[in-house]
Amino acid sequence: MISIPTERKVLNENDRLAAGIRKALEATHTLSLNFIGSPGAGKTGFLERTLRMLPAGTRAAVLTGDIQTENDAIRLARYGYPVRQITTAGACHLDARMVESHLIDWDLEGLDLLLIENVGNLVCPTSYDLGEDGKVVILSVAEGEDKPLKYPGIFRKAELMILSKTDLLPFVPFNAELACDCARSVHPDIEIIEASSMTGDGFGQWMDWLERRMQGKQILAEDFAAAIQ
Amino acid sequence: MHEMGIASSILEAVQKELLRYPGYRAAKVDVRIGAYAGVDAESLRFCFDAIVKDSPQAPLELAIEPGTGDELDFSSMEFEEVNA
Repeated sequence: MISIPTERKVLNENDRLAAGIRKALEATHTLSLNFIGSPGAGKTGFLERTLRMLPAGTRAAVLTGDIQTENDAIRLARYGYPVRQITTAGACHLDARMVESHLIDWDLEGLDLLLIENVGNLVCPTSYDLGEDGKVVILSVAEGEDKPLKYPGIFRKAELMILSKTDLLPFVPFNAELACDCARSVHPDIEIIEASSMTGDGFGQWMDWLERRMQGKQILAEDFAAAIQ
Repeated sequence: MHEMGIASSILEAVQKELLRYPGYRAAKVDVRIGAYAGVDAESLRFCFDAIVKDSPQAPLELAIEPGTGDELDFSSMEFEEVNA
């Protein structure tokens, strides 16, 4: 009997592909964000409003994951940006291989922003790196305030939480302050934006956040270019 | 929920590692799973046993140790000589 030390990640193969995607997006200065939330949290609606509000000339594209149907891609394609549906046929999350194969003939050089809508699920997508710059978790006011305590993994890994559907607050027994406290108790530095894709409330703050992150990526890329010259 | 995918990744990694040790078969694989890994140990064990049962690697033991944070790592694999 021999014992072989195999100190590496179980999802080593996924992480290897994700690293390749990250490197490609680094070279093209493309900011990529991975949106994760429960089914019905309002991910697609949030991205629709985002696409509508992007400053003219922004070069954006969307990958949207679902177990079945092209419905989300059809919704998202109405705003004039390239959109591709990833149908996982059973898998409860996107993985790096799926993202890589759906990016394959897109000109990343011509993209400033890649939005990835994961399969509706707060557990499994957390484990799979897609080569993104950051994860955004979407929690709607139609859910429980304690979701961050029940599903701490994603709230720890996300840099931003969108508290969505705030237009429903007058009609549902939801304590927004408590939800934010729950999120901060598992991730003290998480940024939080309260937003409604119906009314547009909070989207000013979100678009500022997005612009800042896109600029950050450009500056990093310029620094990198200067450093290697 | 995605434990079947994780189980497949573990079995594939064992099969890949075995290629480097001709004449050996795998007896045991050790993984470490942190509390925030989002992986349920019992469910992983169930999935792993189900896919190993019908594979050339059967019987193969999965040992699960508690890890830290969102750790989901291999720690070691044990191989034994065939017909030794």
